[in-house]
Amino acid sequence: MADRGGFRGGFGGRGGDRGGRGGDRGGDRGGDRGGRRGGRRGRGRGAKEEKAWVPVTKLGRLVQAGKIQSLEDIYYHALPIKEAEIIDNFLGPKLHDEVLKIMPVQKQTRAGQRTRFKAFVAIGDQDGHIGLGVKCSKEVATAIRGAIILAKLSIVPVRRGYWGNKMGKPHTVPCKVTGRCGSVLVRLIPAPRGTGIVSGPVPKKLLHMAGIDDCHTSTSGSTGTLGNFAKATYDAMTKTYSYLTPDLWTEMGLRASPYSAHAEFLSKGGFKKTVI
Amino acid sequence: MASSDILNLRTDDGMKLLVCNTHLGAQNVDFQMESYVYKRRPDGIHIINMRKTWEKLVLAARAIAAIEDPAEVFVISSRPYGQRAVLKFAVHTGATPIAGRFTPGTFTNQIQKAFREPRLLVVSDPRTDHQPIMEASYVNIPVIAFANTDSPLRFVDIAVPCNNKAAHSIGLMWWLLAREVLRIRGTLARDKPWNIMVDLFFYRDPEEIEKEEQQALTDKQVVPRQDTSNYAADWVQQNPDAPAVGGFSVEDVKDWAAEPIPAGFQGGAQWNEGAAATTTEWERSAPVAPSGGNQESWGGNNENWG
Repeated sequence: MADRGGFRGGFGGRGGDRGGRGGDRGGDRGGDRGGRRGGRRGRGRGAKEEKAWVPVTKLGRLVQAGKIQSLEDIYYHALPIKEAEIIDNFLGPKLHDEVLKIMPVQKQTRAGQRTRFKAFVAIGDQDGHIGLGVKCSKEVATAIRGAIILAKLSIVPVRRGYWGNKMGKPHTVPCKVTGRCGSVLVRLIPAPRGTGIVSGPVPKKLLHMAGIDDCHTSTSGSTGTLGNFAKATYDAMTKTYSYLTPDLWTEMGLRASPYSAHAEFLSKGGFKKTVI
Repeated sequence: MASSDILNLRTDDGMKLLVCNTHLGAQNVDFQMESYVYKRRPDGIHIINMRKTWEKLVLAARAIAAIEDPAEVFVISSRPYGQRAVLKFAVHTGATPIAGRFTPGTFTNQIQKAFREPRLLVVSDPRTDHQPIMEASYVNIPVIAFANTDSPLRFVDIAVPCNNKAAHSIGLMWWLLAREVLRIRGTLARDKPWNIMVDLFFYRDPEEIEKEEQQALTDKQVVPRQDTSNYAADWVQQNPDAPAVGGFSVEDVKDWAAEPIPAGFQGGAQWNEGAAATTTEWERSAPVAPSGGNQESWGGNNENWG
């Protein structure tokens, strides 16, 4: 047992402890790995194998063919994004990801504990887009890779507004929004320019990656559970575009969905013959 | 709708709907289907307003016709009563059928080989086909459903009220929908009837299919009644208890008049009377089974034996 603990990437003090049940919390282990976290930043772009992307979904095909002008078109029609390459296509170079936490989780088996690693990755372009991905895997690297992909798939637009006086670029949340996950409640409150992000470390990272410069926060619940804390701030940021403010009252006409607008292209020019 | 009469419910279509009992709903009503119910019969069955059935059918047909690529309309029936109809509908309109089991994840799991992305779903029964309806809700696919009075309408966008329990009713509704789609597309003319029969859309019991095949086989084998070349064989068939057959042959008998009459003979009396005449004819005729020449004397007796 001790061997096994040591074999798994040498997480120091744990090997001996793990005799009976896997009752330890992820929390204390997180502290061990503080130093490691920074080292992973910016690792993503380095050694990527160049494999041509073969789209599986209709949306993928349209994006690869360049039929879709921007991510915002996809958001407008609320089309589910299933391929991470779609996001790469639009935001690729601007995206930065960061691992928020690697959390070992254990399952009890007849032959001891079975440990897997849960990776929380936040991704953003610091200009209005944020994504959060969670992936569990037997190896840390695999978990991180998977989490990055999931983070890309979950990218949402973040609406920014002004605290007062619409001068310059939007810098803060448009209104007070609140997000929930589990017991955690995160409330984002608009702040005047120059305030910076006033919050705990976890939401601070997310808000910064989303491109929100100034924000006050108020939280409640078990914010120690990083997973829920991160998801709650992500949820709050998602809601910025769901909020109907008076300037959105004007009615816009219906726009044709990309699937119908590009129907010819999607069916490769051949519609099925029918028998009368 | 008010301006043009073309899309109104016509008498012959209305008769078809009545004959197939499409207007007969279930004993229960889902609250969202209440507006389609005309009345509740004393025995509990709710009657669906046929005019509304027709109007929703036309609306559904318009939605289907609006999809540019007909293959992106998926028609679904897990229940056997609708499977044949769904296949025929697909053939005639170019839609894609899913008859039988709907593999979960078909619309949501992009890694699956059977992954499909339809633009529109048409479903035979929201209750039994709930899986595709639920998956459609994950991927922005609108749903048209043939709904009975007690069908749940969650995630159903266009509900066509009708009886979706009876085989004839289901078949008729799919046939009408197909015809309407083709008419809206302009493939069929409105004034002429469709040359495809409704019966092609009806569910056929496997036993019925077997029976029909048996019928077809026996029809080929039946011997025409007027052929009398096997007269003797026929007679033996008809009078199996006559003992004479094995006991004598025509050559042996010299004096027919003296021959004892076998028990099975119904025309015994007539035999005696015409015995003299017949014996001479017998002696004259060839010693084989009576041929056509004796038909006159035999003719009368033949009828008696029937």
